[in-house]
Amino acid sequence: MRRKLITLRRIAIAGVKNFFRNSWLTVAATAVMVVALTIILMAVVLNVTARNAIGEMSKNLKVSIYIKDDAKTEVVAQLKRELTTNPYVAEVDYISKEQAQQQFSDSFQNDQKLLEGLALIGGNTLPASFEVSVSNLSKINEVGEIPKQEVFKDVVDDVTIGKTDVRKTIDRAAAAQRFITTASVIAAAIFAVVSMLIIFNTIRMAIFTRSEEIRIMKLIGATPGYIRGPFLVESSMYGVIAGVIATSVVLVAIFSLGSKVSTQAEFAATYTFFSDPKIIAAMYVGAILLGILVGVISSMFAMEKHLKLKYW
Amino acid sequence: MILLDRVTKNYNRRGTALKSVSLHVEPKEFVIIVGPSGAGKSTLLKLLTREEKPTSGKIIVGGIDYETLKDKNIPLLRRKIGVVFQDFKLLPNKTVFENVSFALEVVGMGNKEIRHTVPRVLEIVGLTGKEDNYPSELSGGERQRVAIARAIARQPKILIADEPTGNLDPKHAWDVIRVLEKINKYGTTVLLTTHNMEIVNKLKRRVVTIKDGQVASDRAGGTYRSDV
Repeated sequence: MRRKLITLRRIAIAGVKNFFRNSWLTVAATAVMVVALTIILMAVVLNVTARNAIGEMSKNLKVSIYIKDDAKTEVVAQLKRELTTNPYVAEVDYISKEQAQQQFSDSFQNDQKLLEGLALIGGNTLPASFEVSVSNLSKINEVGEIPKQEVFKDVVDDVTIGKTDVRKTIDRAAAAQRFITTASVIAAAIFAVVSMLIIFNTIRMAIFTRSEEIRIMKLIGATPGYIRGPFLVESSMYGVIAGVIATSVVLVAIFSLGSKVSTQAEFAATYTFFSDPKIIAAMYVGAILLGILVGVISSMFAMEKHLKLKYW
Repeated sequence: MILLDRVTKNYNRRGTALKSVSLHVEPKEFVIIVGPSGAGKSTLLKLLTREEKPTSGKIIVGGIDYETLKDKNIPLLRRKIGVVFQDFKLLPNKTVFENVSFALEVVGMGNKEIRHTVPRVLEIVGLTGKEDNYPSELSGGERQRVAIARAIARQPKILIADEPTGNLDPKHAWDVIRVLEKINKYGTTVLLTTHNMEIVNKLKRRVVTIKDGQVASDRAGGTYRSDV
């Protein structure tokens, strides 16, 4: 047990030493991995941002069902029942004539003339309505069909679905999200492969330049793990350092750009999400683990040929 | 201690290196292996350190039958055999102390024990006081003695010295040979290959001559005879 611990410590120390030994290759390998990890992290961040923004904008996308003033209450209740039981409906708000009036005058409170004009006409001309929000945007038209059924002909005055400009923005955001995802997957894959190749070569060159040392180690009874260990430590360090740098870069980007838009409703949720220390920690851990994985896999390939027990 | 029974080694391209070689070495024996270059001496030593596998025949060293030895136990076998090369194979960026302690680190010895062992081993090879020197600061003979110190630090049962004096002038060569004799006296089996006729004749030990991949002669207290 004690021997194992001593050996593990020696492997770790040797790995760290080797990491700093060929500094230029180390810089190159780490830099490419930083790029790859940054792209991956950015893709995640942009996806979260786009999703949150779309979600926020979708809240404004509702089916409005205007009720006739002389509607029978039973039929109105039936309509409400049907709406609430529909699986795609998230929420149904009933807005009475009085509430509608209130909302209207609230939003036009700076326009006294208009309000005075309305008061002249007298009475409340605004209809009561149901404001229906959906859980799945693509089903909004189906939900819109519900009040158009024959049964509700006498109670429903009109049905409007969303505001067209909001829909367009959402469609654009969704398209952007798809593009970001595809582009970042491709870019991340390319850079991941490049960094794997560079690390593969770095480790292979290290094995080559240290072949004499390795042969001596083999002859004085070193186990495969003792010789391979330092190379694994070395390549993991590329991952650790690259992970830390990449996450820091992305976080700086989030906070410098994010602080400017954090007051906008579309980005507020995203900003608070990424300000959570738990999420920050998770990003660091995730990036580091991914970096280690890339490093270890590529050095495993590099060692495959020369450091196998078969050739001991 | 060492037993070779009709060992043959064929290389695919270079033909046969060893033809049915049989050799028996007792514990604590000092055996000199001589023979012209390309006779198969190096192959023989590589078979003993299990860097090569024989094409046929049986090899048993220190009770370990190489035929049934599992790959994962090769490191354990190597720890029982110390090896010294003609070109020393020291690590140039490590000091004398570190070169020797390296061999002990590999087998998982604790730092305290290493600090205790290395000076004693360096004393045996007569290098006390050179601990902090780098190999480049030493003479050839001193370097070879560092290599011997490294090989014997783990107290192997067998020491294989592959032409350890090949690169040394006569005075330094004798320093190295004296160290080998001392180690042998302490109880280690020594296998020495050499071209140096004078060393062979003066040592008066068992001499095994290998020629064309076969044992041409094997005599105790022998001398180097170029006619066989």
